[in-house]
Amino acid sequence: MAELIFSNLSKQFDGAPALDRINAQIKSGEFVALLGPSGCGKTTLLRLTAGFEHPSAGEIRIGGQSVAGGGQFVPPEERGIGIVFQSYALWPHKSVSANVSYPLEVRRVPRVERQARVNEALSLTGLSDFAQRMPAQLSGGQRQRVALARCLVFDPRAVLLDEPLANLDLALRASMHEVFSMFHRRTGATMLYVTHDQGEALALADRVAVMESGKIRQFAAPEVLYREPVDCFVAGFVGDGAVVSVRPTGQVDRNGLMLKVLGQEVLSRSATAEPSHVSIRPESITLSDDAPLRARVTGCTYLGGRFRLSLDAAGETLVAFARQRATIGETVGIKLQDLWAFRDPDGTVLMEKVLAYA
Amino acid sequence: MTKTFFAKGSSRSLDRLLPLILLPVALIALGPVVRLLLEGIGFGDGFTTDHLTKVLTRPSTGTALMNSLVTAGGGTLLSVLIGATFAFLVALTDIRGKGALVFCLMVPMMIPPQITALAWMQMAGPSSTLLKLLGLAPPLGSPQPLHSPGGIILLLGIQHASLVFLTLRAGLRMIPADLVEAARMSGAGSLRVWAQIVLPLSMPALIAGGAMAFVTALGNFGIPAMLGIPAGYATLPTLIYQRLVGMGPSVLPEVAVLSLLIGAIAIMGVLFSRSVLSRKGFGLVGLSGTPLALSLGRVRGAVEMALWAFIFVILALPLFALLATSLIPAYGVPLTFNTATFDAWKEVLLIQPGTRRAYGNSLMLATSAATILLLISLPLAWLIQRRPNRLSRILDALIDLPYALPGVVLSIACILTFLNLPFTELTLYGTIWIILLAYLARFFVVMLRPIQASIAQLDPAMEEAAASVGARLGRRLRDVVLPLAAPSAAAGAILVFLTAVNELTVSALLWSSGTETLGVVIYNLEDSGETVMASALAMSIVLLIVLLMGLVQAGAKRLPKGVIPWQS
Repeated sequence: MAELIFSNLSKQFDGAPALDRINAQIKSGEFVALLGPSGCGKTTLLRLTAGFEHPSAGEIRIGGQSVAGGGQFVPPEERGIGIVFQSYALWPHKSVSANVSYPLEVRRVPRVERQARVNEALSLTGLSDFAQRMPAQLSGGQRQRVALARCLVFDPRAVLLDEPLANLDLALRASMHEVFSMFHRRTGATMLYVTHDQGEALALADRVAVMESGKIRQFAAPEVLYREPVDCFVAGFVGDGAVVSVRPTGQVDRNGLMLKVLGQEVLSRSATAEPSHVSIRPESITLSDDAPLRARVTGCTYLGGRFRLSLDAAGETLVAFARQRATIGETVGIKLQDLWAFRDPDGTVLMEKVLAYA
Repeated sequence: MTKTFFAKGSSRSLDRLLPLILLPVALIALGPVVRLLLEGIGFGDGFTTDHLTKVLTRPSTGTALMNSLVTAGGGTLLSVLIGATFAFLVALTDIRGKGALVFCLMVPMMIPPQITALAWMQMAGPSSTLLKLLGLAPPLGSPQPLHSPGGIILLLGIQHASLVFLTLRAGLRMIPADLVEAARMSGAGSLRVWAQIVLPLSMPALIAGGAMAFVTALGNFGIPAMLGIPAGYATLPTLIYQRLVGMGPSVLPEVAVLSLLIGAIAIMGVLFSRSVLSRKGFGLVGLSGTPLALSLGRVRGAVEMALWAFIFVILALPLFALLATSLIPAYGVPLTFNTATFDAWKEVLLIQPGTRRAYGNSLMLATSAATILLLISLPLAWLIQRRPNRLSRILDALIDLPYALPGVVLSIACILTFLNLPFTELTLYGTIWIILLAYLARFFVVMLRPIQASIAQLDPAMEEAAASVGARLGRRLRDVVLPLAAPSAAAGAILVFLTAVNELTVSALLWSSGTETLGVVIYNLEDSGETVMASALAMSIVLLIVLLMGLVQAGAKRLPKGVIPWQS
């Protein structure tokens, strides 16, 4: 278990910037997800941590030891970091138990101890019955667990996971979520998990780093990302809902700011006195027939137990949940509450980026 | 984002040592070719074009050049005719037994040309044991019909038909199935689809295959040597051979010019074929698949019969004739149950010191070449694939050269390079080591490409996974890369062995008493009238080749595409 520290970490590929001055600290034993659209630099950050790439500038420290930057470079085989690849990268010529025992063979662990640790890793991942199978004879989920066992067996200082669920079907993903959580609880390993799926990131991680264009936009706990996004990109990329521009009225309450949103005065939580946008989550909207703010229903989809309504209010598209089905074209009244306001001068540009990824 | 592999130069010592193998490889593979180029412009005696003008204006040069172009051109036409017919029928129709048919069509490519020539000569002419057996032999004194330009063209055409076949079939497989389906939806029948869609689209492959057949025919030594020299008909390779054997190393500057002449024509052919293949003429978009499964209907049986009859004539019949000749006690004696004997077989395999020595030499050379190339190619292929730098890129681009150049050209280049070892009084000329060095240079690419193909298919994550669990470069190469590239490496080693064990062209110019190879001995036996012994020796080699080919074929499923030359 070790903490990971990135200081001013940058990486260019043939002059094209992939990472731009990344600063982050991941605590020992923490489960961190790197979330972002493809091309945002999250996999580059992972590969730099593993040692497969050299940084163009900046430093990486693992457990207090500098492994890259400042003129030195520790190769991947000496970093003591486990990695689970998107393609699993199981060696097809080795059986399941040979795959799992390889890290220990390389470390010259005596045979008896090696066997015991392999058995433990296999039973922890539920693979004891498959020890003698070849990787080709396994299903996708089983291969994933072999890759995990191969990582777990040598007690790495940190475990990196590169979109580990991208090649699995939906049902398997849910069950693998539990395997990862169990793995993290049992080993207490520092984990860095790359994904473009916000559901995965929010469900699994202690903290999530939202990345875009080689930068970390926000690095916070999932519920903070959802309730208090720092800019339009995070607000739009994480979770459902809408981002609307606002004008402060100047009134300050001890519970927040009074803002003019869609022609209505609404009390909002805020981190700044001069916000430019509010994030309106579906939970912030209550349907009420006598509310003064009117919205037209433009879409209605059933989610199981509730309906998701797309609403058009004063030219903005909002999202709300309803208990009853609504007819498209129908007009409803809506009440806004518990909004989050933030300042983002480049907001419109960023919103376009979010839409481009959608 | 994940496309870049390992970053350059970590602090491990093997990481820094490994690139050092690039240098000797470049020297052995490309050194002789460079040395030959220098010789052409008078290296050593100051810059001069004297040799060039003297050799190029001599009438024998012009005649040989003309003969080379005529026989290679004629042979190419025949190869295109045979190869294209087979390719279209095998790739586009529903004939049965395609695998066996293709294997049989490929056997002539792997049989050394001097054995092909010897076998065909046993099938024609007044002394043919087979014709005598059937009572069809022409009267004594009538000429051997194959000792003629026509005979050379016929055998060159058959020998290289497989090159056209393989290139064209690969091209046909690239044609997207939906293009053909679209033509069908527009109302075109099978024949119209073939003529108006498939044929135009496969034209680049056909032209490229023809160009390759031409280059190979141009460099062929065994067939014009066996058929042309007795008739006084010289091509460029046989002219070089006759001058060098007749006059010794003093004519080296002259033959260097001649070999540069063939080399230049060959390289133009290779470049032409590459450019045609790479441009492809059309940007083909869509899923590739079986472009056409044309049903032959009632004529299917007849077509199959015709193809197998053709295979019988070009493959089985000459080999029967060769076998028949190898079983008679003396040349001219008819083969009957009473005269049939294995004496010649015993003689060449067990008694004659010359042939036994040749077997020993050839097996030693082939085994050494295969082993040395195997050991060098694995790390080299890994370097080229995973850590490309400028030198490895140049090597990758030029390593085809010693194999693409005609064998005589490489031989002359090797003699020039190793006649006087730089900085010493030593010479390798006349020793077996010069043959080994020439084989290493020539067959490098035969070993390298299959291994390169299998490493290119290997997910880099396999090695990264090993690195992340603590395996250093040496262990990664041994535990991950080697086992996964092993099937291709084995196939490459067998191919090198197969090609080297029958090699004639290079060793014909480099051998001396005591270092003769199988190819040389067959040629010399036939040249001195020992046709029966030559046939027995040739037949034993054919059996060895078919056995080795079968061995590679048996492992075909485990190999990446493109490793086995007789499968595209």
